[in-house]
Amino acid sequence: MNGEKEECMAVTHIDNAALFAVLSSLADNKQAIGRRYAYWCNGAPALEAAVAAAAMTQDELGHARTLYPLLEDFVQADPGQVDPMTRTLQYHLAFLDHDFQGWSDFVATNFLLDTALTTFFAAAQQSSYEPLRQRSRKIVQEERLHEMHADGWVRRLAKAGGAVRATLVASLFRLWNETLCWFGPEDDPAMQSLYYEGIIDATPDELRRRYLQKIMPTLSSLEIDVPVSFHAETKRWELHQSLPWHAWDPVARRAMPPKWMRNDRPSDGTSQWKNRETLTNHTPRHMCK
Amino acid sequence: MNSTRTETHSRREALNETHVWHVYARRKYDEPLHEIGTVMADDVELAQVYARSIYDEFSWVEMVIIPRESIVTVIAS
Repeated sequence: MNGEKEECMAVTHIDNAALFAVLSSLADNKQAIGRRYAYWCNGAPALEAAVAAAAMTQDELGHARTLYPLLEDFVQADPGQVDPMTRTLQYHLAFLDHDFQGWSDFVATNFLLDTALTTFFAAAQQSSYEPLRQRSRKIVQEERLHEMHADGWVRRLAKAGGAVRATLVASLFRLWNETLCWFGPEDDPAMQSLYYEGIIDATPDELRRRYLQKIMPTLSSLEIDVPVSFHAETKRWELHQSLPWHAWDPVARRAMPPKWMRNDRPSDGTSQWKNRETLTNHTPRHMCK
Repeated sequence: MNSTRTETHSRREALNETHVWHVYARRKYDEPLHEIGTVMADDVELAQVYARSIYDEFSWVEMVIIPRESIVTVIAS
């Protein structure tokens, strides 16, 4: 009897390396964004913007907190790397390795990277994997406000002209390639696997196209020059640049460190680079009492 | 030198929020909207984001914002 009970209570772990990899990347990116945003809760250009930054920080960390527990259900999970409080982030974009250089980095991260992640969540709203389906719907709903914030600030900084506009454009370009690469090449095994299993409803190229339809109207109206053009026949924005896949790590879903650092790659198959500054758990200085 | 300063100053001015929006909200359908505060923002989208972020102490059933310049004074104070 007891044996039966124990059997019923035994947790069935999911064996899906592709889903585990993408969920890890989503969670780490959300967590890293939240931590970077946190530094700007009292550094935004206006009081209203600072309060909004604090709310967005909470949202991003909240999204990460809803995703990390999902990792526990996978056979691929390392039990010591599931708790967000103690986990060392490994699968976030390299852009987030360092502090934001200014408010324009905050705006660019919200506009480019967070919108890219939302594009993925939007594609998972009918997911065959129920936990992701539920979370995706809520995240997409909450991200609407972030998109309005991103759009509003990109417009404001771009219209200010001069050095303000130049700084914004520089921030956008630092994130551009890595964000577009995050969806993976069209034959990306992880994303293709999710597509064929019905976990998302689009391939990497289609996700990238959907993403461009979201961001391009703003960039185009502000005459910010990016390698994307509007095709009148298809009425869609199309990328006309080749992405730097040679410098992209498909395991960590992030840009590779420079060549001189790559020799330090650990032999255990993880994507952790020894010389890379990693986001470990810490409280931002200004939040310490 | 002066022109550079003026240019920098005007850019800074351009980044300052100048429009005031009055925020109204209610917690129940059977109560009227009442003013809960103001936000400063130069466009309506950011004003909405700021109003939602700043006045989030209750689960409002309705929140609206009104630009100060659209208010018509009937009896001046």
